[in-house]
Amino acid sequence: MTDVTNFENKSMLSGAAQLFRAREHSIEVEARPLTDALPEPTIFNPPAPKRYYLYLMAPAIAVLAFISLYPFFWLIVMSLQSVDIGSSEWVGFRNYARLLKDPNFLSGWGLLLKYSAMCLFMQLAIGLMLAVIVNNHRYEKYLVTALLMPMMMAPAVAGLLWLFLYNGTFGWYHWILQSLGILDSASILASQSTSMYAIVFVDVWQWTPLITLIALAGLKKVPRDQLEANMVDGASPIRNFFAITLPNLYPVLLIAILLRFMDNFRFIDHILVLTGGGPGNSTKILPVYLFEVAFKFFKLGRGAAIALTLLIVTIVLGMILVRVFDKPQSERK
Amino acid sequence: MFYKPKQAIHTPISRRKFLELGGAGATMLGAGSLAVGLNSTIMSTRVQAASSEEAKWRQYAGSKLVFLSENTPPSFAIRENIQSFYEKTGIEVEILTDDLPVVQQKAGIDLRSGKSDYTLNYVQDKPIGAPFADFYVDLSTMFGDDTLPQDPEGYGDGAWFENFLSACGRFYAEDKIIALPYDAAVACTFYRQDLFEAHTKDFEAEYGYRLEFNEETTWKQVLDIAKFFKAIKEGGADVPYGYAQHQGSFAWTTQLDIQRMMFSHGQWIDFPIDDKLGSKRPGPTNWGDEQSVLMLEKFKELGDASHPDNLANGTLELNTVYQSGNIAMQVQYHEFAASVENPETSVASGGRTAYAPCPKGDADWNLTGGPLVNGTNCGIGGIGINANASEDMQRAAYLFAIWSTSNQIQYDVLAGLGGTPTRKSVLEREDVKAAQQRPTNMPNALTFDAVYNHGIKDPHFVLGPKIPEANEYHSILASETQQMLSGQKSPAETAAAMKEQFDFLNDV
Amino acid sequence: MASQDVVHYDTPLQKALRVSAALFLAVYLIWTLLPFVIMFVSSFKDLLEAFNLPDVGDWSGVGIFFEFTPTFEHYSSLFSEGNFGRYMANSLIAAGGSAIVSVVFGSLAAYSLSRVEFRGKKDLFFWIISTRMAPVVAVMVPLYSIFRTLDLVGTLPGLILAYTTFNLPFAIWILKGFFDNVPYAIEESQMVDGSTRFQAFWSIVPLVAPGIGAFVVLCILFAWNDFLFAAIIGSGGAKTLPVATRELVQPQNIQWGSIMAAGVVTTAPMMLLGLVIRKYLVTGLTMGAVKE
Repeated sequence: MTDVTNFENKSMLSGAAQLFRAREHSIEVEARPLTDALPEPTIFNPPAPKRYYLYLMAPAIAVLAFISLYPFFWLIVMSLQSVDIGSSEWVGFRNYARLLKDPNFLSGWGLLLKYSAMCLFMQLAIGLMLAVIVNNHRYEKYLVTALLMPMMMAPAVAGLLWLFLYNGTFGWYHWILQSLGILDSASILASQSTSMYAIVFVDVWQWTPLITLIALAGLKKVPRDQLEANMVDGASPIRNFFAITLPNLYPVLLIAILLRFMDNFRFIDHILVLTGGGPGNSTKILPVYLFEVAFKFFKLGRGAAIALTLLIVTIVLGMILVRVFDKPQSERK
Repeated sequence: MFYKPKQAIHTPISRRKFLELGGAGATMLGAGSLAVGLNSTIMSTRVQAASSEEAKWRQYAGSKLVFLSENTPPSFAIRENIQSFYEKTGIEVEILTDDLPVVQQKAGIDLRSGKSDYTLNYVQDKPIGAPFADFYVDLSTMFGDDTLPQDPEGYGDGAWFENFLSACGRFYAEDKIIALPYDAAVACTFYRQDLFEAHTKDFEAEYGYRLEFNEETTWKQVLDIAKFFKAIKEGGADVPYGYAQHQGSFAWTTQLDIQRMMFSHGQWIDFPIDDKLGSKRPGPTNWGDEQSVLMLEKFKELGDASHPDNLANGTLELNTVYQSGNIAMQVQYHEFAASVENPETSVASGGRTAYAPCPKGDADWNLTGGPLVNGTNCGIGGIGINANASEDMQRAAYLFAIWSTSNQIQYDVLAGLGGTPTRKSVLEREDVKAAQQRPTNMPNALTFDAVYNHGIKDPHFVLGPKIPEANEYHSILASETQQMLSGQKSPAETAAAMKEQFDFLNDV
Repeated sequence: MASQDVVHYDTPLQKALRVSAALFLAVYLIWTLLPFVIMFVSSFKDLLEAFNLPDVGDWSGVGIFFEFTPTFEHYSSLFSEGNFGRYMANSLIAAGGSAIVSVVFGSLAAYSLSRVEFRGKKDLFFWIISTRMAPVVAVMVPLYSIFRTLDLVGTLPGLILAYTTFNLPFAIWILKGFFDNVPYAIEESQMVDGSTRFQAFWSIVPLVAPGIGAFVVLCILFAWNDFLFAAIIGSGGAKTLPVATRELVQPQNIQWGSIMAAGVVTTAPMMLLGLVIRKYLVTGLTMGAVKE
């Protein structure tokens, strides 16, 4: 952190740099040491006209507008229509009114929250423990490398792999769970009471390493002197963890939680492959139901209405996330 | 940059216009250049009068067609033989194969947006035909057109196996044919003859009749068999479970699974409509009546006696369970015989498996007073032509449709990758007749007697509700029965919940 | 912490903690790595061998897992019958193409955003990142319609554009952080020496190049692993590896051996890439919020 502060002071010297630097960002640029060797500018150079920058921005903004604003607008229009067999008519808010009577819509939200809560709880608990254990471990480098492997796998492929592992006839994880007495004879996917765990475990398997990596990054910044001081006072490692380490980790963990939460809205690949929302409705979280409504039933109007509710919640979450990002690193810590 | 076929039909839908305007604007932004669309092109040298047979086949030489199909054997086999169609017609055909749900998605989007990326579609009767029937060409207008070649056997109901043409071709109107039967999956019973023989003594001692399976075997007896195997399996004997249902994530086959049993008892059907024709306004459902509640109770009992993974096994997984020797009996689609008889993938091969029609209704379980039948259902995959395509494209596609459903091609597919014929004449070939007995080089033929000579004929044949909302109907039904099977709802509650949702779905 | 000089003696509590930590780590490692082992080994088994399991509770019987005659048939059939060579090329082109498009457009935009101040900039920036967060299913229907109108469905350019929907905002967001850290003073001094604005921009590119390189790789990773876009927008003509793998679940047969082999083929390259850019992984996956 200290080097950032230095950097801050240095850039104060350049009025233009200060003017155009939006805000301090946390990424460390490889080349930063170079900047120390730079000659201090002596002549004040007027900033480039805004127009010039806008031109540079234009292609990216245009592409983004086209692939995000336009569909968004389309979605709103569609949600107010009944887009059924080959025709469409304006139906006002009927699609929305229908949603309130749709048991799948309401249970879809409930299951989405339940699914996210279970995933997050397990990922945080396991991820944090791993981070603490791995941090400064003799083999830290190798352990981290081994841990992050699941993140590299395509979620759809992970779904297929776990379908194989969970299989009640020849699946090895099924065998292990049975041999440990955790599961009776039925496959974990075959019961409404366990299918949710099945999809949660896959998400936990893939993404706990991310929490570990994030927590590790946070752990490296926990002030050692505080820990040592506390140790000398005779605090146990466990108390130390809760008194000093954990509070220091809160900001990064908050980011981790928000990111994972949004990803639970985004990625349904493994659920589509593993359960398709079943058995019963036990894993039909809202995005899965939306997929069904839009691409199986072709109720595009109703689908658009569901999609908008999802989008709005995502945007709110995104705003919270950006607010967290926005805080300068020093405050975050 | 942004190629439009000359013949593109512009239907007056304002949203489409709006989209195209947006699209054009985006193109100018340079978003995606260099697109090589899937759009089929056509170069017609149309023969006006009926000239030579060869000229009729070759009139669209140089065109290109795209056929969107399910990944079933006929499409793989035809893809391998596609060169012979090209040599015959000069038409290039690209066959895209996907999972049925994906085919359904892509076909639906293509048809509904007024496009014809896929000139030819695989029209699976209820999942694709029922919702999109209005988007396909009425083929009956081309039958007998003497500027087009025609199949010598014709396309009447008599040319195909009983009920096939109605199942995949007729939707909501008697006089229109939107698809020709291309392949078929018909339910029949697969059972382990070796295990049945080995345990018949014990079984008879307990239930008072021999452990065997034939067309008179009833659903009640299936329940006995399932309970018997489950009991001795859990008593430690080295036997598989007796039975399992189609309850995985594939809602359509879950619906078919319960429908067979419902129909067997007094020919109970879901709506008071003619299933073979279907209806856009089916009216109030029969779910919730006395018979349906009794059937759900029995279905639940059967589920309880099934393999423990019952709720995870879709049709495919169920077959895997059977192949790996973990159940002694399954009601399965006859196209699966090829994989069951393959010694490299199945322990049930080599004469261990025998085939029979679907189970029959049981008098004790019938409150309707109707007849007891071997309720048999199916998925008939038709080949249909996208009505958004230009007239020339439609005619070119017709050539492929009749070629791919001809006797010779169906025979080649059967002999090659193991297809399921739809034309009656295929079964009259000598080697196909011979192949119905072991040893056989066409394993699917082992099921033909049970399927084609019995199950698909009236009064056993049932199609199920052909309604525009078929897919949502299947989904609701599957999710409700699964909830019942896992004990969350009683059969009566389940029937009531279904009735409420179906009537809401159909605006009753 | 244990190996550091902070700890001078072991209380029983610490000892117990250390043992249970080691145990936890071991169990977790087994749980997390075993699927890879099973995937890899099963890809060399034929179907009936893959069905073999010991009896429930018979832990001594796990050796059965290794009792098989290895076969390369699944791998060879993927490429000879299954066209996997082409799918791999599709995956590469689509992922690589979108990564390059995103980083080129993205770095121009990020550079500008980093250097210019205007009203509503914050809102613009938020909008950019929100496009990255939108649930894919929610926008799939309208996107598909647009792509249809442009005849981009089923083509590689279409798939590249589809991947750009999530890679471009990501690139802008991350790269802006990079440019923010390069003082304007560098360009200024360049321009004092007579360079044009663009030359000045060009002069700072080498400073951010290593980071950009890493994020090209991350963009490739995201695109390579995508399933929904590839399944619906890529469809027939631009089938990628995850979609092709999913399709091995066929109506008559689930070809588990081939699926495992395809899993290995799909996952292995990404694992290698992941290791190469290991130090940027956290920054990338947290959208720059956390650095190591």
